[in-house]
Amino acid sequence: MYGGDEVSAIVVDLGSHTCKAGYAGEDAPKAVFPSVVGAIDGVEAMDVDADSAKNNSNSEDSKTNESDKEKGKRKLYVGSQALNYRRDHMEILSPIKDGIVSDWDLVDNIWEHAFRGCLMIDPKEHPMLLAEPPLNTQQQREKAAELMFEKYKVPALFMAKNPVLTSFATGRATSLVVDCGGGSTTISPVHEGYVLQKAVVSAPIGGEFLTDCLLKSLESKGIKIRPRYSFKRKEVRPGEFQVEDVGVPDTTESYKLFCQRMIVGDIKDSICRVPDTPYDDKSYANIPTTSYELPDGQTLEIGADRFKIPDVMFNPSIVQTIPGMEKYGDMIPTVRGLPHMVMESINKCDVDIRRELYSSILLAGGTSSMQQLKERLEKDLIEESPHSARVKVLASGNTTERRFSVWIGGSILASLGSFQQMWFSKSEYEEHGASYIQRKCP
Amino acid sequence: MGGTDAKDILGLPKTPLSLTQEKKSRPQKESHRKPDGISREVYALTGGVAPLMPSIDVTHLKRPPPPDEKVAWQWLPVKSSARKDDLQLYHWVRVVNDVPPTGDYSFAKYNKSVDVLKYTDDEYENHLTDPVWTKEETDQLFELCERFDLRFTVIADRFPLSRTVEELKDRYYSVTRALLRARAQSPAELANHPLIKEPYDMTRDRERKRALSMVLSQSRHQEKKDAEILAEAKRITEMRLAARRAAEPDVPANENIGSVSPSSNSQLPATAVAPSTLTMADYASTLASLRMLHVYLRTYGLEQMVQAASSAVGLRTIKRVEQTLQDLGVNLKPKVPTKTVCDEHLELRKEILTLLNLQKQLQYKESEGSSHREGTYGAMPDTPKDRVFASEPFGFGAERPIKKEPKRKGPGRQSDTPSPAHKRPRKLKASDL
Repeated sequence: MYGGDEVSAIVVDLGSHTCKAGYAGEDAPKAVFPSVVGAIDGVEAMDVDADSAKNNSNSEDSKTNESDKEKGKRKLYVGSQALNYRRDHMEILSPIKDGIVSDWDLVDNIWEHAFRGCLMIDPKEHPMLLAEPPLNTQQQREKAAELMFEKYKVPALFMAKNPVLTSFATGRATSLVVDCGGGSTTISPVHEGYVLQKAVVSAPIGGEFLTDCLLKSLESKGIKIRPRYSFKRKEVRPGEFQVEDVGVPDTTESYKLFCQRMIVGDIKDSICRVPDTPYDDKSYANIPTTSYELPDGQTLEIGADRFKIPDVMFNPSIVQTIPGMEKYGDMIPTVRGLPHMVMESINKCDVDIRRELYSSILLAGGTSSMQQLKERLEKDLIEESPHSARVKVLASGNTTERRFSVWIGGSILASLGSFQQMWFSKSEYEEHGASYIQRKCP
Repeated sequence: MGGTDAKDILGLPKTPLSLTQEKKSRPQKESHRKPDGISREVYALTGGVAPLMPSIDVTHLKRPPPPDEKVAWQWLPVKSSARKDDLQLYHWVRVVNDVPPTGDYSFAKYNKSVDVLKYTDDEYENHLTDPVWTKEETDQLFELCERFDLRFTVIADRFPLSRTVEELKDRYYSVTRALLRARAQSPAELANHPLIKEPYDMTRDRERKRALSMVLSQSRHQEKKDAEILAEAKRITEMRLAARRAAEPDVPANENIGSVSPSSNSQLPATAVAPSTLTMADYASTLASLRMLHVYLRTYGLEQMVQAASSAVGLRTIKRVEQTLQDLGVNLKPKVPTKTVCDEHLELRKEILTLLNLQKQLQYKESEGSSHREGTYGAMPDTPKDRVFASEPFGFGAERPIKKEPKRKGPGRQSDTPSPAHKRPRKLKASDL
């Protein structure tokens, strides 16, 4: 019979853009929310005491009085519902910088929200499977294990690398995973279920970077993206709306940027396409424009930008032509386009497995569901690679599957019967310490 | 069966052919009894035949569960021999009659690992020291081998020092071999061990990998260039071949032939002596193979030239030429076909052709003249259209005015000499001069 045996494990994948959590054995995560935290610093909340008392959902102001002398107790808001509500002085903080966790307190809060808020489980009863980036350091892993065992008291833990889970999600043990995520793009070869760490290639160009490019490009053309909270639409006559600006002086810059990014991200998802040939200004100057209606009623006409922005992934030097993005100019020379990174990664591997890697290139991540990405990548690779290697880029047709492929792989892995012997249990942790995780989770 | 039902439903007319088939198939189908357990319509959906793959036995489908069993599902702890510690995980278990199933966890049997030999320090000192490898490295290597079940690609990746896969394999296999030899009681039991029978050869592995990497690292551009160059080369050789072949029938004084003829002369006496014994097929095949080497037998070349020369001439004329040759005492094929001899032979043939032509023309003229004198009454007006005669340019010795008559063997066959009724004055030909 089939190899599954459910032990009701929980799979958590904390990405740089969204966090996904759910039960193992299911085909999609139940809890998907942005992996950022809104933080209101206690000290500032003191000054606008009267107002904030109404805004804050529970009254911890009494506590903030006591810790006045210290940094101030922070109120943290996690989850898309909490974040969509505008609060004064709420700063948006991200726990993950450059792919590694920088602030464990925020991570803790995010997990807490996922377990108790969304899934409503008690972590004591469920083994936990965490997904981690392929180049995670020993220190990070130990900290994560410590947090899980000490605070949440999970009975068993396993930390699996993202590319391995993506590979399992498609049923392969050997493949080259191209993970185009929010914060970065990582290309890692997986051989028989283990990541070949020396051949992992990473670039900081991810979905968020592309969103920023688009935002700056639109702003330079004079289009003002109004965040949703900053205007009100009044129906003056039936069918006609008038837009009024709402004055919200106490909103932080980071929150404004966060809301703008949400809108521009939607623009990018709906109308951006990867061009079939490398982008140049002359040939795309006369492309017909597509229109997009912003939430405040403005209609945007986007023409060449539709193709220019996604081509940044294939040709990073285009970034310098986008006004407002010059500060990234110094990083760009070291970053190469996507097909070159794939070839680089494959060439770092042992010769025997290269052919197999060429014929099973997997696309994963939210950014990989951009239209025509798979075709363009395949075309570029076939041109560059040797004739004897058959290049085949695989991507599941369903965009949900591509976004959550890491989580789905984790769900499959945690519900296999033959996996149950590999958990890192609490007793092992107590006996050997957190560093034992290096042995247990290769 | 199902097909006709579908047609019925759709209201489609049944073709007469299918009707007769139905009548035939229906008695056949009736003889196959449908299996019990599924209804007729469902069985018909499969096409009326049993499925190719073994499926669930039909008798099980409608069998009610035996009444003495009581099945419940319980959330019970897992007992697995694969885990060393006491981790308690829970899973759903099918419990029958309140007796939980016994036996080990069903997936524990998949927990297999590779037997990696472990050595003691003494053994290391005695047998396994190596100039390149330190003990710590070797220890690390063996630990990784055990963790990763001898997946050398992954081991090479995780090895702290950068060593190639071949080096790791070499070290591992040599150590294991040395250990086996040291521990074995007698050499006999070792002989069948795969490691002893086929030792790992690092240099060969390296060579193989180098070749493979060369194949795989050729970029598309290089390959395109290679393909282009090969195509060019092919084209050039073909052009040269075609040029040579074209030059061959016209001028025998070909560089190639000239250079080859001394060598072919030695062969040729043999071939010339018995050209008649050689069948055409043998001849052609030998020549074909020789042609590949750009060797031309002069006899063959000569024959071609003769054929080319007499292609415009009728068969009868050819026979006459040959007859004349024989009368003169010249062989049809020169005995010693050197260049000069062949040239002379061809010249002779051409001259004979010319001679025959002239003789023919003389005959015509004489007949014309006689007809002129005789038949004033039968004189045909010398209308221009009578004069129209196919006066094709008479190339030097190579062609003749094409007379289709000798070739036609039909009733419209005309004799060589034109009838007196036809006054066809011939134009003067170049050879007459």
